[in-house]
Amino acid sequence: MRGRFAIAALGLTEQGIRLGRSDRDLRGDAVERALREAGLERDAIDGYIHCWGEREDLRYLGLSPNFSWALSCGGATPTAGILAAIGMIEAGQAEMVACVYGIAPTSGYIPGVPDLKSIGAHSYGYPSLYGMMGAASAHALHARRHMHLFGTTSEQLGAVAVTQRAYAAVRPGTTGYGKPITLADHQGSPMIVDPFRRLDCCRDTDGGVAILVCKADRARQLSPNPVYILGAGMGQNIANWHKGIPYDHHDNIAPAKARAFAQAGITLADVDMAQLYDPFTISVIMQLEAYGFAPEGHGGPFVAEGGNGPDGPIPTNTAGGQLSGFYATGFTPIIEAIVQLRGQAGAGQLKKADIALCSGHGLNAGVQNSWNHATLLLGNQP
Amino acid sequence: MSIDLAVIKNLGGDHLDLPFWEGARRGELLLHRCGICGKHYWPASRCVEHGGTDMAWVPASGRGTVHTYTIMHHAYAPRMAPHVPYCVAVLKLEEGPFFHTNIVDCPMEGIHVGLEVAVRFEEDEVSGLTLPVFAPVA
Repeated sequence: MRGRFAIAALGLTEQGIRLGRSDRDLRGDAVERALREAGLERDAIDGYIHCWGEREDLRYLGLSPNFSWALSCGGATPTAGILAAIGMIEAGQAEMVACVYGIAPTSGYIPGVPDLKSIGAHSYGYPSLYGMMGAASAHALHARRHMHLFGTTSEQLGAVAVTQRAYAAVRPGTTGYGKPITLADHQGSPMIVDPFRRLDCCRDTDGGVAILVCKADRARQLSPNPVYILGAGMGQNIANWHKGIPYDHHDNIAPAKARAFAQAGITLADVDMAQLYDPFTISVIMQLEAYGFAPEGHGGPFVAEGGNGPDGPIPTNTAGGQLSGFYATGFTPIIEAIVQLRGQAGAGQLKKADIALCSGHGLNAGVQNSWNHATLLLGNQP
Repeated sequence: MSIDLAVIKNLGGDHLDLPFWEGARRGELLLHRCGICGKHYWPASRCVEHGGTDMAWVPASGRGTVHTYTIMHHAYAPRMAPHVPYCVAVLKLEEGPFFHTNIVDCPMEGIHVGLEVAVRFEEDEVSGLTLPVFAPVA
């Protein structure tokens, strides 16, 4: 697996709140940008994976691939899409697969959801009868367990928010650009879904992303700086549900991590940065533990001491992540990994940026509250 | 009045869950039990060890402990608007399964992991269902 496939191009639109554009328009823009970056005509795209679910993209984008799939496992979809793209290339069905995402929830457009007011109950099932809706409440159940088991505090959650905002504050194009916050700001922000305050939560943003996945030798022809896929893996937290411990785990990370690192032939010490799926502050703490950057139960003190900061042992979410950057589902971590690995992060460029760990997480169900988890290891060398 | 299957389907369930909601309407808390190993499930499930060959709805004790919880500071469901802030807890029922519910008759600051609770039933005008809710054991 390691180094045989690569991301030849990244097409990234503006990302932000109330852009006033439709989701499909953003996907079209993202695809155009990726094609321009690679110097390709649109007929080069012979596979199209829409990392969500909508059926009329091809006509609007003027594409004519061999196949077009909608793939949906929430925030794990981008990595699942890359894996599906590799599978189709290996199976001789395509050579250049576009993995595309674009939503505009703050402008009234979510693919396949004509009425945004209706989405709550659908994915939260029976718990919605009790007033439990939305990702914040689902993640709050994990945060509360972590606090109960390990004494994790609201201030430690706040440390994640403050550190990530500091990254975003110097990164143009993020929602947190030029707007640093303090721990006092975090502690003073209103409680939304206990134990999450407003500054523990990311917010929806509009934007489009497209990446072009192909064999590594083709990527080298097209790009001066291809980003190589070193390894990937997935896990489902239902395994912990069956054991009665789903809430003690953010996700079922162990099998995803093991497969990805085995494919890449590296260890944790080789990883220069973590780009973690972070809709809520607890997500960073629990994933830093599960991946082994911090001992179990010590994620809170680890972030309070700046372990996730630019000078810490594992710089994490170095453009502010979803919390302070923008929410492009599981593409948020992948985009920043590509930017860092190419050395394009400007004032936020890490001194050493050769291997990135990205994660994704999504498609929870109401009662079982279990998500898919995706691990993706990317590098600037094959 | 029978349970409206459309309501159940809209909540992610199906006809296999109807006995549970019919039980709740009678004031009975039921769980789905594997007759081979005795493991209890909720909602309707196939046993992770034995599949669906011997699953049946059986009465539960109606007692459990708070495994985790959150306190909602906004009304995400119309029914809850008069109750903000309210608690959504995941219980570990005495028989083993998790169960999402509201903790009632308890100040928010009295709720903690490990709190022992017992079932009672409330009518929900929005869904037309009778909901099992839980209050601290006296």
